[in-house]
This record gives sequence, structure tokens and C-alpha cells, in this order.
Amino acid sequence: MKLATLATAVALSLTPALVHAHEMITDLDGRMVMIHGTPERVALGFYYEDYLAVAGPEGAAKIVSLSRAPWADWRPNQWAAYTKVFPALETLPDFGNADDNTFSVEALIASKPDVAILSTWQTAALGEPAVKQIENAGITVVAIDYNAQTLERHLLSTRILGAVMGQPERAEQLAAMYEAKTADTVARIANAVPSGKKIYVELAQKGPGEVGNTYGKGMWAGVIDLVGGENIAKGQIENWGPLSPEFVIAAQPDVILLAGSEWKNKPEAVLLGFGETDEAAQPKMAAYAARSGWADLPAVKNREVYGIYHGGNRTLSDFVYARTVAKALYPEAFADVDPAAELVEYYKAWLPVAPDGTFVTKLQ
Amino acid sequence: MTARPVPAVVRWRARAARQGVAVLIAALALAVLALFDLITGPSGMTPGALWHAALAGPEGADRAAATIFWQIRLPQLCMGLIVGASLGLAGLLMQTILANPLASPFTLGFSAAAGFGAALAIMGGALVPLPLPGWLLTPFLAFTATLTATALVWLVARARGTAPETLVLAGIAVMFFFQSAQSLMQFMASPEVLAQIVFWLFGSLLKANWVAVSVSGTILLVCLPLLARDLWALTSLRLGEAHAAALGLDVAALRRRAFLITALLTAGAVSFTGTIGFVGLIAPHVARALVGEDHRLGLPAAAIAGALILIAASVTGKMLSQGAAIPVGIVTAVAGVPMLLAVILSRKGV
Repeated sequence: MKLATLATAVALSLTPALVHAHEMITDLDGRMVMIHGTPERVALGFYYEDYLAVAGPEGAAKIVSLSRAPWADWRPNQWAAYTKVFPALETLPDFGNADDNTFSVEALIASKPDVAILSTWQTAALGEPAVKQIENAGITVVAIDYNAQTLERHLLSTRILGAVMGQPERAEQLAAMYEAKTADTVARIANAVPSGKKIYVELAQKGPGEVGNTYGKGMWAGVIDLVGGENIAKGQIENWGPLSPEFVIAAQPDVILLAGSEWKNKPEAVLLGFGETDEAAQPKMAAYAARSGWADLPAVKNREVYGIYHGGNRTLSDFVYARTVAKALYPEAFADVDPAAELVEYYKAWLPVAPDGTFVTKLQ
Repeated sequence: MTARPVPAVVRWRARAARQGVAVLIAALALAVLALFDLITGPSGMTPGALWHAALAGPEGADRAAATIFWQIRLPQLCMGLIVGASLGLAGLLMQTILANPLASPFTLGFSAAAGFGAALAIMGGALVPLPLPGWLLTPFLAFTATLTATALVWLVARARGTAPETLVLAGIAVMFFFQSAQSLMQFMASPEVLAQIVFWLFGSLLKANWVAVSVSGTILLVCLPLLARDLWALTSLRLGEAHAAALGLDVAALRRRAFLITALLTAGAVSFTGTIGFVGLIAPHVARALVGEDHRLGLPAAAIAGALILIAASVTGKMLSQGAAIPVGIVTAVAGVPMLLAVILSRKGV
């Protein structure tokens, strides 16, 4: 209810005619924030791609400091792709990572930004006093949230980014696009025959020798819920954790998703994302499919084993992965949908780099 | 003419004067180091700029400089001094009441309890419906859990007496209990939350603010006069339990009092910063090396040594990584090992 009012408030304040030098918005922490014109200097905590998508071509040059680890360490190939286009990113001051308690408010203030765009998990980890410290230095703090993985907060975050960066039209177009894609996904599923397919997701990071985490709530479980799949981990795993191998075999999943990413030093992992190739991913996925007891699973017998980019969640392009999962469950309803092509299209329209790599794939 | 032996009282006075000077020098060193801590930081502000920010006051016109000096560096320094002093005092008290040079404020499970409390708060304030903002919930639960551990050990001490063996065994039981509870929390935590818990356990001054300083500072100030009353008694206890009892001391009551003060100091120190290790173990040894067993000088020396170690670690951490500061607890742990070895090697045959 409260969010709906917020949404209206933000939507109202975003009508192009109303964009003034000063305006009040409510961020995703529920704080009232006064925006003083379009900032020239931005400290960026997270959601780098979404920031760049909304802020447009000039956005990158405005970044004066960032929380480097979540980009450069978590998604090294994506970082490499962006530093190729914006070499200046490489030398920007780093204000640390809130996740491991190294976030330095002093380093952020010292970079003299006009505005600090942080994620709600960062402001939560920092705590109210630290946010006050930043504000006391005359810096506007805005918290956004794509992690919640809900349509509502995705749209709000996008519109807030637009309001802060003086790009309300771009933000509105992005929000409309995202909303339309999600609505299309939901509508196709609603019109399809219920699939009743059981689905199992595993974070394919540790190699087939060890059971990786699966998701009972949020993240991939949230995507599966959205597309109406029957998640075998539901009710077994609270948020995320490994299922017992025996349970997986007993559950006889019809579809298996192996979530891969651009991990370094993980030779057995399913590597997906920027700079990764399908040729390299196929044998890694085959190794998972060759686990003892897996050969007779319906998913493996019918070759319904998919690789999906783990870094693709909690961002504006994540509709692509929802459609990938939906297509696995309802092949007919999504016969004319090509998620990989939609991802390329999205990058072409909104971002300065191309998604060169493998983001979704299927075991051959 | 034969040289007359110097009367014992004269020798004692000379030694007391030497020890007093040693404490004074340590205090001076601490002051210098504190100043150094104040002028180092990731923003690389010059001492001149900081001086101006200090003169301009917390409301100074240069908001960035004023915030960095008054809201970030000063509370971090104060927190470092308070936590270092508290852990130094708590360490010396613990070693005295347990008659064990290996004891530290964390020996009786206080750190495990604090870690459990913090983990509980980090895992989800929803589990603990308290009208507290998230940033206060962690220190509050860490504090509460530490006092719970204290109460458990206390109950055993009430029932079975305060002999060091009893306290240590009860403390170890409490420590294992909270450690396993904490492991369970970590097992259930998601990777991101797990990282937060682990890094809380490292201990860091980065989140210091004036609220934290006033809470921990008040606890330290309340404990000081309570300790002052027992200076003589604690010194006598170092002679051994039988001697102390022969001098008319109620050893059990003294142990219980000192135990409670130790718990309070430790809880106050770690609740906001996380469990900063080694300071409480090493500071008492440094203090004894400086001034011997007399707690009238020993306690101030332990407090100064604790603060000295922690601030030195803070400065080192800031110099090692310019941007994102290394948690100070890691530096004390790494630097603590050679310091402990140095203390051991410098000891004359005991």
C-alpha cells in the first residue's frame, strides 16, 4: 500500500514538465531526498549497469568514486568490458565494500560527489549514522533496490535513477519496456496449458563433485515463482542452501537450471557471462549431467538442462532470464521468444557495450 | 668505611618513580600516536586542512572537511582509545582473577557470546522484535548476549565457588555453547549475510560514531571508580590466593566483583566494534613488563598499553590500504603474534 503511494508520488514528480532544479523524491529506503539539479559528480555503490542505462552516454564520466569489489571482483569480465570503453573507471577511487565491512565513508566523502547512489543493502549494512555522516558532508544519498527482484521496486528504482540523473524520459522508457516484457511473460504463461514441470536450480560454482546452493525463496526461486514453475527446493530450503543429492534424485526434476557466472579459479564451474563461450560451458554442464543417478532424471534424459547467467539477476535486463526459465517450462508459448537475442537488443538500445559472451544456453 | 645497604623503602621509592616515568612515557607515546591516527586517512587531507577543519568546528563551512574530521576521524579515534583501554583493563583483571597469563577478556566465552548476539541481529532483526533501528540492534544484541554469558558463568561461580579452575571450566562450557550457536547461525546464513557476520567478528573501527563513543565511554568511566576501590586487593591476589586470604581478603567476593567489571568492560568494548582480538591478551603483559605486579600502576598501564596497541593497529591498517581500510581486528591479530613473542622473550627468568 505504502509502496503504491510512493510509486504514485514518484510518477507524479516525474512528469517531464515538472522536472525542476529542485525536487523531492522518496528513495527505496523510504527517506525523503531533495534533489538539487542534475549532479556532475556521482559516487556509485552498486547497480552499475542500471545506472549507465538510465544516465545515458554522459553517465560514466560523472562517476567520481565507486564501490569497486562488487563490480571488478564479482563480475570481472563485465568490468573488463566496461573499462575497455571507459578506461577512467580503472583509476577511480574505491570506497570499499559494505558486505565485508570495508566501506569507508571518509573515502566516499573525499571524492567530493554531489550525490551518492547506493543500494538498500549497502545503506542497511552502513547503518543510519553513516548515512547521516555522508549527508552532513553535503552529499545527497539515494538508495535504490533491484535486489528485491520485484516489478514494483525495479520500476521505482529506475524512475528514481532518472529523476536523480536528470533523465526522466530515458527512465520512463526503460521502465515501460521492463514492465511490458514482464507483462508479456506473465500473459503468455496465463494463456498456456499449465506445465506442471518440476524444476531444480543449482549454483554451478563448485563443480559436479559438490552440491551447490539452490534457492527456496528470492533470486532464482523468485523467478520460478513468477513463471509458475514447481520448484523442488520450495519448503525444503529457507532462502538458499544445498539440497541433499538423494532428495534431488527422488524429486525427479523435469528441468534443471545450472546457474553460472564469470568466476575466477573455478575450473569445474559452469562459466557463463561476459567473455565466456558456449563451447567451454557445454562439457562443464555435461559433467553435471553425468553425476551419479542423474542419467535417469527426466531433465537429463530429455536434455532439459540449461545454463543461465547468475549475474543476470537484480538488474533491468533480468527479464531475459525470466523468459529463459519460462521458455523451458512452456516451450510452445514462448516458441517465438529468443531470450539471447532480446539481451543483445537490450544492450544495443541502452548500454555502451555489447553482451559478448554466453548468458543462456542449453545442454546439447 | 663500609657501604651501608640502601634501605628497602628507598629502593622501593626509586623503583616506583621509575615505573611512574615508564607509564608517563607510554602515555606520551599514546598521545603522539593518537595525533598521527587523526591525520591519516583515505581522503589524504593535509594536516593543515585538518587543522582548519578542527578550528572551524563541527558546523564548519567546508562540509566535507568538517564531516571527515568531526564525524569520522574523531569518533574513530575516541572509539579506538576507549576499546583499547577497556580491553587492556579487562585483560589484566582476567589474568589476575584467573591467575593465568594466558587469560584474556575473551577466555570465558564473552567474545563467542557477543558474536552470537551480533550474528542474530545481522541474520534478521525480524527474529528479535525490538523497537531499535538496525544499526543499534547489532551492538544491543551483542551486549545482551555477552551479559547472558556472564550470568551463566556467574551462576556456576555462585554454586561451586570462584576458584580459577571452576571459572575457566564454566567459561569454556559457555564459550562452546555460544560458538556452536554462532556456527549454526553462520550455517543458516546466506553468503552475503555470512560475509557480514564474519567481518563483524574481525572487529573494525570504521563504523564508530558519537553514540557508540558515548555508550562505550560511559561504561569505561563507570568501571574506573569501581576498580579503584579494589586496587590493593587485586595486588594482594597476585601474591597467591592463600596469601591474599591470610591478609584478610574475601577472595571469592573480590573475584566475583572483578569478573563482573571485566564482563561489563568487554561487552562495552566489543558491542560496537566487533571482537578485536589479542589486545586484551597482550596489553597486560606489556603493563607488567613496564610496572610489575602493583595494580595501582598496572591497571593504568594496561589501559594505556591496550589503547596504544589498538591505535597503532589502526594507523597501520590505514597505511596498508589507502582506500578501503583493513579491519583493525585483523591488524591486531597479525601484529599481536610478534608482540606476544617479544614480550615472552624479553621476560627475565621467572
